[in-house]
Amino acid sequence: MNESREIKAADSDEDVRSVGSDGPRMLFNPPIDIYETNEGLVLYADLPGVKTEGLDLQVQDNRLSLFGRVVDAPNHANMVHQEYQVGDYLRSFILSDEVDHDRITARLNNGVLRVELPRANRPEPRRIEVSAE
Amino acid sequence: MPVFRWGQNWNPIRDLEREVDRLLQGMNLTLQARSSRRFPLINLVDEGHRYVLTAEIPGVELPDLELTAANGILTLKGVRKAPPEAREDSFRRQERFQGAWQRNLQLPDRIDEDRMTADFTLGVLKVILPKVAGAVARSIPVSEGPV
Repeated sequence: MNESREIKAADSDEDVRSVGSDGPRMLFNPPIDIYETNEGLVLYADLPGVKTEGLDLQVQDNRLSLFGRVVDAPNHANMVHQEYQVGDYLRSFILSDEVDHDRITARLNNGVLRVELPRANRPEPRRIEVSAE
Repeated sequence: MPVFRWGQNWNPIRDLEREVDRLLQGMNLTLQARSSRRFPLINLVDEGHRYVLTAEIPGVELPDLELTAANGILTLKGVRKAPPEAREDSFRRQERFQGAWQRNLQLPDRIDEDRMTADFTLGVLKVILPKVAGAVARSIPVSEGPV
């Protein structure tokens, strides 16, 4: 599926395992919303169980990546009904030059991450004086 | 159907996909229950004297969350609001559930509804469901030989 050119999901849809100090953990691709506002783009990601301290959000080159570590993976001693597994979250996106990388802000609230990606101001066209020899 | 958006190539397939998604969302509950897009997802652990239910409900405000138990059926319901300033046609990607939701869960044992407690932290709901005394399995000692 084609993505918009400002931001692209650079992930695969497969869940993999990450290895932490306490052994292998599940790693998931969190669901996201991306929408456009007058100022630029806003990204939402569902990261239930992740605290601010456990969240790592990075922009390097053109890649925005988020990694969320869940607080505790409870022991499933006697699971009688299971619909989800507990694990960490990883997803990354390719940003275009239209996004002002320096003004990206993020807030984590109630298990939801909100990232604001302001559009870069385009420089005014510059008139070049031409002088005759 | 919006045809042109800022900074984006015309992509009829994506538009179609989104329209179909929206149509399906409108049909609501029966379809959702059959797909894997149930919301929220629920786990239930038997700890012997009690059950512990956890559900991932990120982004739901506490006042929008309702929890009831009656006749062995636990009902969770609530609303997850759309992002504040998002218009329907401004979405580039929409994977997160939004709208009203409800989950009913048949509990395997009788629970003490008066002693139920719940906690909602970091978008994870945790409900402690103590079993009524008679519902806790007692182990019966077995001795060898004729009685």
